[in-house]
Amino acid sequence: MGETVGKLIGLNDEVISPTASLAMEAHNSHSKPFLVKKIKIRHDHLSVVVLAFRGSMLPNDWFGQPPFRETKIDTNKFRSLTSLNDRGDAVINGSFFRRFNTVLEQSSLVKEVKKAVAKKKQVVFSGYSSAGPIAILATLYFLENLEPNQILPPRCLTFGSPLFGDQIFGHALRREGWSDYFTHFVMKYDIIPRIMLSPSSTEHEQILNYFKSKFDRKTINPAPPIGFYLTVTGNASSVASYEACHLMGCRNPSLDIIKSFIELSPYRPSGTYIFCTGNGNLVVVKNPNAVLQILIHCAELGESNAAEVEKRSMDEHLAYLSELKECLGMQDVVSLDGGPAAATLNDLGLSPQAMLCLQSAEEFENGRSRNQYQIRKNKDKIEVELGKMRKYKENSEIRRVGYYDSFKLQHEDDDFHANVSRLQLAGIWDEIEETLKEFEVPDDFERKKEFIEIGTEYRRLVEPLDIANFYRHSKDKETGAYRIISEARPDRYLFIQRWLEHHEKKPFGSRSESLFWADVEQLGIDIKKKGYLQEIEDRIHQLERNLIAWIDVDKSLDKDVLLENSTFVKWWRALPPQHKPESDRIEKLICDNEKAAGL
Amino acid sequence: MERRMNQVPLFSSAGELANMVITSNLIDVALAKIFELQRGQAALPCSVQPMVYDPTPNEPNRTIVVFAPSPDSTQYPLPQGGDLVPYPDFDFLCTKECPSVSINGAALELFESLKNHLSVLKTELIARDGQLIITGHSLGGSVASLFTLYLLDSMNKKSKCRPICITFGSPLIGDFGLQHSQWNSFFLHVVSNKDPVPGLFLTSSHSQTTAYKPFGTYLLCSELGCACYDDSDLILKLLTVISSEVAGGLLQVVDYGEILRNLKKRAICKGRWLAVERFADPFSAGIVMELETIGIDWTKHNIDIRRMEAEARSLAMKTKAFDAKKLNDIKKYMALLEWYKKRSKDAGKGYYDCFKNGEFKRDIRIGEFMGHLNAYWEDMVAQAERKPQKEGASFRTSWLFAGTTYRRMVEPLDIAVFYKDGKRDYIKKARSQHYKLLEQWYEEAAKPTTREELDSKKQKVSVLLTEDSCFWAHLEEAILSCKSLTNANSTPELRESSGNDLVKFGEYVMEQIENYAVSPEIFLKDSSFMKWWGEYKAYITSPSNPCSSRFIEFIDFMKTGRYGVYGRSEVAA
Repeated sequence: MGETVGKLIGLNDEVISPTASLAMEAHNSHSKPFLVKKIKIRHDHLSVVVLAFRGSMLPNDWFGQPPFRETKIDTNKFRSLTSLNDRGDAVINGSFFRRFNTVLEQSSLVKEVKKAVAKKKQVVFSGYSSAGPIAILATLYFLENLEPNQILPPRCLTFGSPLFGDQIFGHALRREGWSDYFTHFVMKYDIIPRIMLSPSSTEHEQILNYFKSKFDRKTINPAPPIGFYLTVTGNASSVASYEACHLMGCRNPSLDIIKSFIELSPYRPSGTYIFCTGNGNLVVVKNPNAVLQILIHCAELGESNAAEVEKRSMDEHLAYLSELKECLGMQDVVSLDGGPAAATLNDLGLSPQAMLCLQSAEEFENGRSRNQYQIRKNKDKIEVELGKMRKYKENSEIRRVGYYDSFKLQHEDDDFHANVSRLQLAGIWDEIEETLKEFEVPDDFERKKEFIEIGTEYRRLVEPLDIANFYRHSKDKETGAYRIISEARPDRYLFIQRWLEHHEKKPFGSRSESLFWADVEQLGIDIKKKGYLQEIEDRIHQLERNLIAWIDVDKSLDKDVLLENSTFVKWWRALPPQHKPESDRIEKLICDNEKAAGL
Repeated sequence: MERRMNQVPLFSSAGELANMVITSNLIDVALAKIFELQRGQAALPCSVQPMVYDPTPNEPNRTIVVFAPSPDSTQYPLPQGGDLVPYPDFDFLCTKECPSVSINGAALELFESLKNHLSVLKTELIARDGQLIITGHSLGGSVASLFTLYLLDSMNKKSKCRPICITFGSPLIGDFGLQHSQWNSFFLHVVSNKDPVPGLFLTSSHSQTTAYKPFGTYLLCSELGCACYDDSDLILKLLTVISSEVAGGLLQVVDYGEILRNLKKRAICKGRWLAVERFADPFSAGIVMELETIGIDWTKHNIDIRRMEAEARSLAMKTKAFDAKKLNDIKKYMALLEWYKKRSKDAGKGYYDCFKNGEFKRDIRIGEFMGHLNAYWEDMVAQAERKPQKEGASFRTSWLFAGTTYRRMVEPLDIAVFYKDGKRDYIKKARSQHYKLLEQWYEEAAKPTTREELDSKKQKVSVLLTEDSCFWAHLEEAILSCKSLTNANSTPELRESSGNDLVKFGEYVMEQIENYAVSPEIFLKDSSFMKWWGEYKAYITSPSNPCSSRFIEFIDFMKTGRYGVYGRSEVAA
């Protein structure tokens, strides 16, 4: 206890109320796409600049085709909003995205932000209702493009915002460590934060039209729509149940079949949610699965109050200012992290079934931590096997045969041992990859230095042996060449490569040094098949340049490829001179390497 | 028992799955079409006429096929009772546990009467692209299920239609279980706790009560809510309870439309439930809550929650990550055996003899690797056997190659263990069923060897495994025969039969050699095979019977030492 909202979300308490006021004002602004306000904080020399965006209640600015208006995010603008395995890019609501782009391109937003950052001010983006997603995107945009001198990352506060991004979106936010910068205030019954969980329908239009006339103040006391609650929350409930099945470890094989017959909203909560219970209390929740379950279950109907709840679901969207004023005054705050405590949840009015859902959400998080712990423990095993591999590589080099060639021949006992190690490691890493694909480790796993490092070492040391095994058995005849993305290449290497490229902010494919041998083998095969076509010549030249860069510049490839008897050197020396543009430099590398060994 | 305290808590998702189904519009769509058909149906001649609703502009990817019973058969379902009739046309559902298929007489009669029509319909539907909902009420649902099975059997990997079968208040249809088949995931059976029809054949008045087996997912519901189950035994139990509680209500017609409307409302209401405090662990709490929701008093009907938990726990183990690890472990054990084989070859003996004699220290670990490999492959074979024939076949093609390599590598070691103990007749007395099946499936899938393939085998024979995994069992028998032949105390009859067996063995070996089917490792200096030859060659002096040319060839092959160049590709070329 004694925690304040500000402390829990890492922002000064004095910022929240004025931000909410500005967000309301900006939402209904007719002239400006956003409003700016400076807030001075007492007893602190830090000052904050709040930018709040205009909203829109036109159905076109919310919905459209496809039924959830879902679209892949533009990863040129938002390079981090993708999964680093095979789950693709984040999906977001295209209508809100379009509105954000208009603001970005046609207003002074960038200028205003740069100005504030230059003055070392903290920037807070905010939005009420449909302006919420605009604030989220603005925050992300400036997180992706942090100014070099920027100490304080931008923050985002929304009030009654609709859901905006899918599971990958939230995963990417958490992976980047940005999730805590986003705080969303939601009233217990407010319909708008739930509305995106239901496909667009006439009910949605009625709801938006009602709010539009409320905000426009042209009609006096417009009549709220009725009879929408069953449809809208019913669809939302379907999403929550689907996710609950997943959290609870449902093993019924019909789940996937049934899912393929029904259309579920792709959107999921992300960031920190603060639920206003309606009696002055605030409940802070960070676990995204718990947020979704609360979002659905706390708005469930009681015994006989259907019409009343329906009305409240409209009224509460309009009540943020007064409610927040009360709550922030009382500061009766409960954080849900660390598990649902029955007493604190009474305010949210959750049923026993809802409590089980919350418990499963918490347990799922625990499971993710356990998995990571297990992988950490397995790092010792990985180290032991990598140690054997390093020894194998050294011993082969002493015999003046690269370990790649030695492994391909499989003449020595050591080669057999290395094969066993290779399989042992493949088992451990395949297990890790499967866990990652199912999001069963904490979201920031792929950004943890310890895993990137050990993964990269594994990839550089062992992938050549997989390639050797592949070409030893001429598997290219069955599956095609071993390339960066191909049936032939095990996923584990591709994913680990992407971790490193993401970490170094390098383009996809720039860290392909572990594929060197595959390029060599495949070029050999293709030259035999096709002769020296232009395409082949280009590839040879590329291989030469890569070799020089990897060996000489960043040392990501080891010099054993340059041994006189290696497959590479023998093949390369046999190439006609006119096909070797970098001949001199590579000859020099080979000679230097031989000399170094001779000493 | 105290270990349970440290175990990861489990949850039961039966209620959430049902809620997801109810709040989506999937079953509304099916039910609406059933009602539509029933309203306009009086004029139809047949009582369960299927009706096809083609895709519409609103639902461009969805075809719905409805089997609705006439009003008459709704009120008096299945007057013939629960007789099960063997039906060979559905033998494609046979599994090891269910070697023949029987189907409820009434459902079968209807299905048969429509079969010509359904056969045309089936061909047409399989060619379609997109969702295919097959549905029906009561007896109509039974025929819908049969038709779906019939359709699934004809589908292949290229088929683009994605079927689901949804039945309402349908009786059980047969004695085959599909627990281990992917097919069961295509069936969703909606059953009200007020509906006597689904459990109709489970009351004691029917003699074949125990033969019926439910398959697929059952969505059981009461006025309070619903839950989904796919555990066949539990469903059978619950259906029995339901039918005993609505006894005598045969004339009651259950209105699934009304039930669905109520459930949809229930889904967004806070559930009333009182017993939470009684259970510390979430799994029991969930199960009990779900059972109470569907109107089942779990204490009264003796439902074993611990068994359900144990089952759920074992299922929770089977993750993709777990499988990936296991598969790589299996590859690792094979690599270790390969290494052992190479070491043995270098020692001039062959891995069969090294293992049998316990040559190296590490032989002890070989037994451990064998144990892992055998357990894995016995399980794979058992899984394939529990599936319906076609599904089992496609399941095993993906690993038959790896399974064959395993059989050729490991079965010789099992044979070594057997003969080391001084036993006789491995193939008849001790050969494990999974080896027999792996061999049988391989033979079924194998194509005749072409000239080129034989040439390439000739080049590679030194690295290949002996194809007949029972080669060493044949050799061990030949060694025993040789002893009988040379033993002075043997009766003349025994000697003669032993001599004949040895001739057969020689012919067999020569055939293997001609096909490059046997590894040259058998000719290693200290191998059992060469020892056998050393003893035998002294006794083949008097061919009393006219010998086959192949046997003569064999003797020549051995005596002239031609085996020395067998498998040396450079010499052969």
